Amino acid sequence: MSAAVDGELTLKEQEGFEKHILTCTACFTEFKEAQKTKNIIREKIIRFKAPQSLVNSILKLSDTPL
Amino acid sequence: MNMPSSPNNKNVPEQKNILSEKEKVKQQEFQEEAVEHINALYNYALHLTMNPDDAHDLVQETYLKAYKFFDSFEKGTNCKAWLFKILKNNYINKFRKNAREPGKVDYDLIKDFYHSIKDTQSDNEDLNAGYFRSLMHDEVYQALSSLPEEFKEVIQLCDIEGFTYEEIANMVESPIGTVRSRLYRGRKLLRNKLNDFAKKHGYDTDDEETRE
Repeated sequence: MSAAVDGELTLKEQEGFEKHILTCTACFTEFKEAQKTKNIIREKIIRFKAPQSLVNSILKLSDTPL
Repeated sequence: MNMPSSPNNKNVPEQKNILSEKEKVKQQEFQEEAVEHINALYNYALHLTMNPDDAHDLVQETYLKAYKFFDSFEKGTNCKAWLFKILKNNYINKFRKNAREPGKVDYDLIKDFYHSIKDTQSDNEDLNAGYFRSLMHDEVYQALSSLPEEFKEVIQLCDIEGFTYEEIANMVESPIGTVRSRLYRGRKLLRNKLNDFAKKHGYDTDDEETRE
């Protein structure tokens, strides 16, 4: 199920899965729910920017030989 | 993307503070491959440490190690995954001692963390998420944070960072089947916590497909 949500099924598995949820309501619902959860997380978790001081220190890092 | 690796390791005369040819190539590759993942690493570090200062240090140490051992990075593989793995190992070594009990969540800590990071961010001009948006998402953040570590981790790596199962399996040192089932169970737990949120914010209506 999670592999279907994450696009990790092989082409053949994907086909089989799609065929299955065409007729199985339980799995269809389950699939939709899992997808929804994934989307909420993906869209709603805020991404912060690394502080400029950190970025600078890392850019500087590769300027000096070790 | 592919830098020609320079095989001419002629003896470069020793010069102080000037990079050798080999180092220059390494530096350029490092800048092209590794530096672009800094925001992702910083976010991952924040999730792990719950503290901006610790996250800062963790990312810095990660890059220091990554740069030092950049030769061992396999070209053509996912550099972001490699960096994440280094960060995670670093985190474990550094913080294992005072690790909290798994499954126990200190909500006050999360709240404090959230406010402190928001304050830090307010110094940034180009903040891509406004305060209102972020306030609204406290719920989602708390729901995710309240999951047991092993579930939270795979969801983070998969849904937020977009790693493949294989990459995640490698990072958490578990078989792909375990990753898959943790994702399944984690999302199920999360779904229960998020049900209200979904209703409130319209996630119950499907975007593309029509429902019965």
